[in-house]
Amino acid sequence: MNDLARRWATAGLLLALVLLPTVASRYVTYLVIHILLLALNAVGFNLLFGQTGLLSFGQAGFYAVGAYTCARILLAWPSLLPGVLGGTVAAALAALLLGFLSVRHTRIYFAMLTLAFGMMIFSLAWKWRAVTGGDDGLVGIPRAPLQLFGLVVALPTVERYYYVVLVAAVLAVALMHRVVHSPLGLALRAVRDSEVRAEHVGLNVRRLRLVAFTVAGAYAGLAGSLLPPLENTVTPPIAHWTASAEPVLATLLGGIRHFAGPLVGAFVLVVAKDVIVRFTVHWSLVLGAVVVALVLGFRGGLAGALEALTLRGARVRPVSAAAGEEGR
Amino acid sequence: MRTVWLVAVVIGPLFGASWSAAGPATCPLGVAAIKLGVQGVASGPHADYGRQIEMGAQLAVEEINAAGGVLGCRLEMRFMDDENRPAVGVRNARFLVTEWGAHFLYGTDSSGVAMALGPVLRELDRIQFFTHAATHRLTEELVAQQKIKQIVRVSAPVYQDAVAAWLFRDRRDVRRWATIGADYEYGYATWAIFREQMRRLRPDVEFVGAAWAPFLTTDFSPHIAAVMATNPDGILATPWAGEAVTLLRQALLQGVFDRIKVWFQAMGGSVDVLEGISQEVREGRFQGKLYATSRYVHNWPNTETNRSFVSRFAKRWNRMPNYSAETTYSAVYITKAAVERARSLQTDRVIAALQGMRIETPAGLRVFRSEDHQFVYAVPAGKVVWDPRYPIPVLGELKVFDPKDYWRWPPFRPLELTK
Repeated sequence: MNDLARRWATAGLLLALVLLPTVASRYVTYLVIHILLLALNAVGFNLLFGQTGLLSFGQAGFYAVGAYTCARILLAWPSLLPGVLGGTVAAALAALLLGFLSVRHTRIYFAMLTLAFGMMIFSLAWKWRAVTGGDDGLVGIPRAPLQLFGLVVALPTVERYYYVVLVAAVLAVALMHRVVHSPLGLALRAVRDSEVRAEHVGLNVRRLRLVAFTVAGAYAGLAGSLLPPLENTVTPPIAHWTASAEPVLATLLGGIRHFAGPLVGAFVLVVAKDVIVRFTVHWSLVLGAVVVALVLGFRGGLAGALEALTLRGARVRPVSAAAGEEGR
Repeated sequence: MRTVWLVAVVIGPLFGASWSAAGPATCPLGVAAIKLGVQGVASGPHADYGRQIEMGAQLAVEEINAAGGVLGCRLEMRFMDDENRPAVGVRNARFLVTEWGAHFLYGTDSSGVAMALGPVLRELDRIQFFTHAATHRLTEELVAQQKIKQIVRVSAPVYQDAVAAWLFRDRRDVRRWATIGADYEYGYATWAIFREQMRRLRPDVEFVGAAWAPFLTTDFSPHIAAVMATNPDGILATPWAGEAVTLLRQALLQGVFDRIKVWFQAMGGSVDVLEGISQEVREGRFQGKLYATSRYVHNWPNTETNRSFVSRFAKRWNRMPNYSAETTYSAVYITKAAVERARSLQTDRVIAALQGMRIETPAGLRVFRSEDHQFVYAVPAGKVVWDPRYPIPVLGELKVFDPKDYWRWPPFRPLELTK
């Protein structure tokens, strides 16, 4: 896909997202918020996985740190911005701390460490009842107004809150696009492709991994901190390792070598599940089969397949992007 | 000509389908059908509870429709799996109301799901009849304090487990109590309520030990060993469903029933637990020391309403009804009574129609408590016994206590939950 076509597609998608609440039902709007939250989490995760080569099974932990921190702030001080920023910063700090301990290892050891740390956060959420509300969680979290430069925007409806999430998601994805296509992104890919060579050209491998881990944690935290105002509640299952599988699955489905891969994967995963559960209580069996078929059928991910389809239609050669990934 | 046939073949059934979906326009409430959205856990180790919720609701819907519906309106039901996950439960509720058009919601096993649903119900302005989730906070905090009027609970809450104190108050030989508790709110609340009641009834009793087992524990041997080291006379256990079966079997293996005098399994009267320990009960391996309660037991009360319900349920599903089946079945009939009284589907009018409601259900008389929207009814406790009249063990030597004695009553004061 050439640059012009990509820009048109992006503009079209943004326009569709902006117009969505005016044409879609409230439930569809609500569902798209969930897609955006998973997309945010998955985009952050892919900086770690697709760009840096580290597979984390603990992203749900940072998602939960963001959610619980935001919830506690909103319960004490009902203003959306401090809640979301507080949640994001808390998750980034947690990722910095746990990343410091985790990035000393790679491959399966790294994956197991992140899994263990993620489950530690889950246990904290479950047991630290004075702060987290235990298994009943925190309830009655207000969808607090957005106060910005003296302007107060009330968010009583899902539709209004959708625009807050959309703006946050667009800004965060744009920022990630910038990071991936920056020298930092190049350095991360160098670490992924050959740790030894990266060290020989003077890159601080461990520090780069820690940066990627922290940024991924911050993105998970941002997604998590946008959840409590939507649902008015936070409960421990959001920190469970099965929740960590969601960004992993979304990224694999969409394609780890495409920037848009996690976005496409998040869309497909949320929509597929939502459709399947309407028809059968054995949804997990059907969803599993669909995911296996998609992963086996589209080795490079759905984003790659979509691009190939577009190229075949347009008879255009792929343009290698600065990231050096699109079109592979 | 071929095109005309093709169009007829494709379009014809669509018209037919839409005709049958709309149904005869005889419903005075202005809807094609009254839609009931039902959810419960239908996957994972507790899936039987959701299945029972679905079976109970479906049986009630079939019966009511066969008898002419509610004010002539047909009932339509849709069941969804909440996976025991609050986020999924909330998403289901939003889908059922805003997309599918549910007029009423039912079910939900997990207290966490129930607590998450509370504020969303206010936003959606739909009544949910809770038929399993037991946390006292649902009605005491969300209804009585926060005034979320859309919450109504038909099933007995965690208060029911305090019946153990009344069951054993005259057993002077049982002085030392310990708990193997579920390591979450349900376990803490049960132990707290039990101790509160026991201290009042039997000041001589000691609480000697506690071991807490997290959700999905499969090896209870350390918990059993820890509690047995305190040499208790009685054990109060709160792990439920398959975990209760595993716990009881492991307790047998460790010889616990040779050393204690009584074991109270809080929700041990549940059909899935009774099915799971069927062989052991038949062989008398619990030595008559295993007691339990439930939120409904199918062999009580001995009324025509209950006998008929159990018979119809067993015939329809080839299973005995669990409590979550009975509570959901009754919730649908409570809806029928309320809508017929309100002659409306509007939330405020239906809630007004619930005020003062006293309704005969398979579990006995249920009375609506207006302060917290909790239906009050009595459930007995008893010894787990084998009765040849039933395919699974039942609760025998049943004792029924007045809920006024052992339930919590408004005005509510916060429950001290300590391990």
